[in-house]
Amino acid sequence: MSVSRGEFPAPAPSAPTLVAALERAARHPGVVLRFLDASEREEILTWSEVRDRALGVAGALRRLGIEPGERVALVHPTCPDFVVSLFAVLLAGAVPVPLYPPVRLGRLDEYHRRTAAMLLASGSRLVLADARVRRILGRTLELAPPSLGCARLSDLTPSSVEPKEVRPEDLGLVQFSSGTTVDPKPVALSHRALMAQVAALNSHWPDADGVVNSGFCWLPLYHDMGLVGCVFSALERPGDLTLMGPEVFVARPSLWLRGISRFRATISPAPNFAYALCLERVRDEDLEGVDLSSWRGALNGAESVSPRVLRAFVSRFARWGLRPEALTPVYGLSEAALAVTFAELGRPFTSRVFDRDALADGQGRTADDGVEIVSVGRPLPGFEVQLRDEAGSPVETGRVGRLWARGPSLMDGYLDRRDATAAALVDGWLDTGDLGLLVDGELHLVGRAKDVVILRGRNYLPDEIEAALDDVAGARRGCAAAVGHLPEDGEREELLLLVEHDRKATSEELLTLPERCRRAILHETSLAVDRVEVLEPGTLPRTSSGKIRRGEALSRFLRGTLEPPVPVNALTLGRALAGSQVAHLRRRLRGGDGTPSEGSSGAG
Amino acid sequence: MKRAEILAGVESIARRRLGRETITAEPDARLIDDLELDSLQLLTLAVEVENHFRVRLSEDDDQAIVTVGDLVATIERRLAEGGR
Repeated sequence: MSVSRGEFPAPAPSAPTLVAALERAARHPGVVLRFLDASEREEILTWSEVRDRALGVAGALRRLGIEPGERVALVHPTCPDFVVSLFAVLLAGAVPVPLYPPVRLGRLDEYHRRTAAMLLASGSRLVLADARVRRILGRTLELAPPSLGCARLSDLTPSSVEPKEVRPEDLGLVQFSSGTTVDPKPVALSHRALMAQVAALNSHWPDADGVVNSGFCWLPLYHDMGLVGCVFSALERPGDLTLMGPEVFVARPSLWLRGISRFRATISPAPNFAYALCLERVRDEDLEGVDLSSWRGALNGAESVSPRVLRAFVSRFARWGLRPEALTPVYGLSEAALAVTFAELGRPFTSRVFDRDALADGQGRTADDGVEIVSVGRPLPGFEVQLRDEAGSPVETGRVGRLWARGPSLMDGYLDRRDATAAALVDGWLDTGDLGLLVDGELHLVGRAKDVVILRGRNYLPDEIEAALDDVAGARRGCAAAVGHLPEDGEREELLLLVEHDRKATSEELLTLPERCRRAILHETSLAVDRVEVLEPGTLPRTSSGKIRRGEALSRFLRGTLEPPVPVNALTLGRALAGSQVAHLRRRLRGGDGTPSEGSSGAG
Repeated sequence: MKRAEILAGVESIARRRLGRETITAEPDARLIDDLELDSLQLLTLAVEVENHFRVRLSEDDDQAIVTVGDLVATIERRLAEGGR
């Protein structure tokens, strides 16, 4: 089953590269980037100011020895220096690698390890950092010393330079799909892919009928939704964009809505959790005089979209002029530069209810009662999606399948990671690792085939969360599954921990095990676990090689069929032998691999 | 600003922004290990402290603050230095 918008050609970008797009935007003196702080004070920058400052820094970078194609890591909060540094790297012909700044009031060890892993994986030769960030980057730089060290923008003496010739096929950005300490995968995107992505986005909301689009973005700029979806799309139009730091939004969600109103923003995206946070934390008195009627694209993506949150958001903020049709679920991933599908703008979001049991069997049958899933729409012009089975063949209409995508903005690959690239990109198609259903040509996301936990729009590898349990007494080592999911009646993705207890665990240990697991994970990863389920040893389903099947564990848990193995004694063994033929056949029909025997369940 | 006022300010942030009844009862309580604030709550606490007290916590402060007592002492010190 596939849906193509290949017959709608991908719109041609207004410039072939980000460098050419900057040159073009610089000729529009009326278009501005506006930076808003926590006190709602603004600082304004035109694109020509960005270009002029960036050109000076690009000269300094060249003098330092940065060569075309080399990577430069950027560690800044949301501020003018970030934008200047980013374009300076591009004007020098090099490739920016935006990384996130240190966490506030949090532990630094994890940050250092993670950032060092990303510096190594991206092969960054230099780090450009905010002055305040640079002071505490020391440990990171010891772990992964870039050959040219770490510089502040103010350390670099501007030096005039001609922009380096950049071709559309050259790399324009390296971004990380998930920040992990173990195996960070640097997504390498060409100028051509980035420009194709933003042209497709901008074609979705053309300046027409008297509407001149203007963006508002508090999303982090080291993430594709903020950088590609907001900054690069504003550059390509070119159009106004107001930027605010993510920490400001998190502390005061009302400033997002106030900012949209004040600057008459039309497009402002955010992950589902942000809409839920507004419902929880914005008070009526924070919104005095606010008018949200300009907001046409309240895009919602990067994590599971909850229909309950969308409905509650519409009804809560309608009083302030929010258009019900503004809420637009979208789907994408960093390997595709950002978006793959979009619900139609200007139409209220739609959802369908699927029969719960049929869905568990991979069949999408609509029903009156069951699981409600929001439509994330159709492929962008020039894009195509296809649902495949495990063997790689397209699934029949109405079946759940693994989602593959094709289009003009796919990554070149993971930087210097031939094996990982070959696994993700096959014959021009990208394996998204997500499970989907197509109904009337619209994509509905059912779950994930790949192991990744998405919380607040950020991707985490479950391995890291599970590794936090290594020293927890009473937990069976290597026998836990950390899974994220959107509960049926929930408003946001929840982190669920399924953990087997140790056979020798005392009753005292068992009693406190959930609490100690929660603490260990919070301590190591700063993530709060929503629910801990302690299981009998051997309960988690495993592959034949002993790896835990997290997706299967979650689906059994949700169906209430996650059960411990039957203890083996002479009687059960005899019964099992007698019934083994039947059981074997049944297992194969079910497509599961059955409950592991004691012997095969220890590995992990 | 007196210490009592600082404590009251921190409590009010905890109540309004973090949904906690009290966080200053035990000055030795650690923000992460004992109070179990997650990354989102820690970020909120940092930004709200800056807004409320009109001080700027530096990145070095951020990393030195482990307990509630550390937080209060840092606010006190920044206020004594004359705010931002």
